Amino acid sequence: MLVVTVVTALGLFFAQRNVADNARRELEQSFQRELASFHSLQEIRHTALAERSRTLARRPRIHAALEDNALDLLYPSARDELLDVIGDPDQEASESEALAFNARFYRFLDNHGAVIPPPNTQGVGPLRPEEEARLGLRAVPDRAQTGYLVRSNHVSGDVIDEIIAMPIISSETGRPVAALVLGFKPIELSVRNIPAGILTGIWTQGHLSLPGVNTADRAALARKLSGALAAGDRRQTSLPAVIAGQPCLLFQQRLNPGSPFDPAYEVCIYPLTESQARQRRLLWQFSGAGGVLLMGAFVASHYLSQRLSSPVERIVVDSEQNRHMRRKAEAALELTHEELQRSARFSAAASHQLKTPVTVLRAGLEELLAQEPLSAPAREEISGLVHQTFRLTNLIEDLLLLSRMDAGRLQLQFSPIDLAPLIEGWLDDLGALPDSLALAVETDFPSPLLVEGEQRYTTLVLQNLLENARKYNRPGGRIRVSTQASADWIVLTIGNTGTTIPAADQPNVFQRFHRSALGENVPGHGLGLNLAMELTRLHRGELRLVSSVDDWTEFEVRFRASRRGSTGGGVSA
Amino acid sequence: MKFPSPVFLLLLAAWPVNAALADATIEGQVALPKTHAAPVMNKRYEIVSHGGILSTNPPLAVVYLSGDFPAPAAEAKITAQVGQKDMAFVPTLLPIQAGSRVEFPNYDNTYHNIFSYSPTKRFDLGRYRPDERPVPSVLFDQPGLVVLHCDIHEHMRGLILVLPTPYFVLTDPDGHYHLTGLPPGHYILKAWVDSNTTLEHPVDLRDGAVLRSDFP
Repeated sequence: MLVVTVVTALGLFFAQRNVADNARRELEQSFQRELASFHSLQEIRHTALAERSRTLARRPRIHAALEDNALDLLYPSARDELLDVIGDPDQEASESEALAFNARFYRFLDNHGAVIPPPNTQGVGPLRPEEEARLGLRAVPDRAQTGYLVRSNHVSGDVIDEIIAMPIISSETGRPVAALVLGFKPIELSVRNIPAGILTGIWTQGHLSLPGVNTADRAALARKLSGALAAGDRRQTSLPAVIAGQPCLLFQQRLNPGSPFDPAYEVCIYPLTESQARQRRLLWQFSGAGGVLLMGAFVASHYLSQRLSSPVERIVVDSEQNRHMRRKAEAALELTHEELQRSARFSAAASHQLKTPVTVLRAGLEELLAQEPLSAPAREEISGLVHQTFRLTNLIEDLLLLSRMDAGRLQLQFSPIDLAPLIEGWLDDLGALPDSLALAVETDFPSPLLVEGEQRYTTLVLQNLLENARKYNRPGGRIRVSTQASADWIVLTIGNTGTTIPAADQPNVFQRFHRSALGENVPGHGLGLNLAMELTRLHRGELRLVSSVDDWTEFEVRFRASRRGSTGGGVSA
Repeated sequence: MKFPSPVFLLLLAAWPVNAALADATIEGQVALPKTHAAPVMNKRYEIVSHGGILSTNPPLAVVYLSGDFPAPAAEAKITAQVGQKDMAFVPTLLPIQAGSRVEFPNYDNTYHNIFSYSPTKRFDLGRYRPDERPVPSVLFDQPGLVVLHCDIHEHMRGLILVLPTPYFVLTDPDGHYHLTGLPPGHYILKAWVDSNTTLEHPVDLRDGAVLRSDFP
């Protein structure tokens, strides 16, 4: 927002400055054009006068007067020659264009640059003695020199005449022997060349000739100019000025650079009223445009910032919540981990502590069984106790395994395992079991059926699942074992008939020591499915209950298909 | 019409006065400035200016005896001519004795306007035609150099050297001169070379003697 404001303000500033500069440059160019046309006119006059002066120097009488030491005869000799140079005073007002070559007066300078006084002013133009003295130079010039002479005039106030000193070159020595100084009414540019409202004038000797400006303003301008020029700023430059209460721009440039005459400056005054009005108009236009731009930018930036900031805010909130939850989860995890470790340690310790007495118990029972004589009921009772010790051992083994897994100490050494013989072996054992369930077995799997696993634990998974399929079956039921193979997975589906698992219990079937209502009559300790699932997980596989409805319960276990022929890496629980 | 040579005119101007009064002679040579102009027959002489110094080209000098000689007593008759011929003064350099009257006949078929602004003699004959009668003439009563101009023909330039002595002679182009009929006595012999240069020697003239004097 700030950036947009600053950029707009800068744009405004530069545009405004640019407009002001352009206006000023235009005025300056106009001034330069005017000066150029003025100078070219002056140039033409100089050329004409130089030719006139050359001709004059060759005129025998002028030549004789100058070279035969007869300066007193100079003016009478020149009068005829210069008759056409001195214009008819009666024509002065009427034919302004011809005036460019019509002198108001002329005088000769001797070879030291001093004015040769005319015997009388008839035909040479009147000059006051002090004005005449100003025509003199320190030395006779060797080329045309321009100057300006302030002349007092009772009728129209002081006027400034342009004076041109043309050297008269001796045809004998080739050096200037005298000079002809001619005074002209300053060249006035044709009115049609000057845009309306522009004033031009000449400043010299602290005097400003500026037609069309009242005396007070002119005096103030002359003072200002004199001050600026005295300050040494003689380069062409501009000054702000006020004429008749209107702001103006004043340009000045030396008219006669390098001249031995007093320095004179062309002064041009341009009214700034129109330019300033234009600038004001532009300022308003720019301000309006800038305001609209600013408003647009404000709306756009507001919208953008909203769009940009909302996800960030959300992220901030989310991350705060996440952090909170993560902390909680981490704390819980830590707690759980400790609990697990503790319970694993406890399970391991308990299992070890239990295995020994069970072994001792079984050994004692078997010893009793071997003793003679034993009554048949006693023998059956003892056999049952021995069988219980085996169950107890299995339970302890399962607990030990689980505790090892919980503690993360169980590591599998993967190798390709063929499931087919494992399943077939178990099915063979099933046929040999002395129960009266009369189960039908359906199998649908190819051979070999290679998966990634460790024989001992893969067997345990299969055993647990197949054992459940048998245990929870009904008499005359059936067991179905089928597989589906994909590139990555071997999916083994084991289904069995029998009482289904109530829907409410289904989510908990894999929990440790969970035994559903239907399993009350079934031998077991509620660790089999949990153990199978944990081991499947260690196999990087998955075990799930597919369905248990309509006399049919189906589990599905996924193993990773083996692509190797040899032993691979391991995975730890 | 054949125009008389400058030397002839000079002799015409000087001879009658000199022959009657004296019989001493001076001869010699004036070392004239070198000229780069190739020598040609029937040389035309012109007045040239180098740095404002006027002389003739090819160079000629005027040798004259300076002393206290009396001016001509009576109203001077026409003693010399400077004609205008082919837009040039002939002769271009004319030595005369002060008090002589020179006439300026116009031999061209056009107007001439002979004038001089020289301090020695200012005059202006105005425009006149060849058939102007009497032929315009001017009396030169002050010694000095007179520069002649024509107001119509700005290139025309002529010199009249007005001398305070009746004893003078124009050198030949090699600078040789021969001045006869001089009165015995002690004088200054001068040689005018250009408007800025006049060489001089004191000379002692004896009756009937021939003196040799070279400049410088």
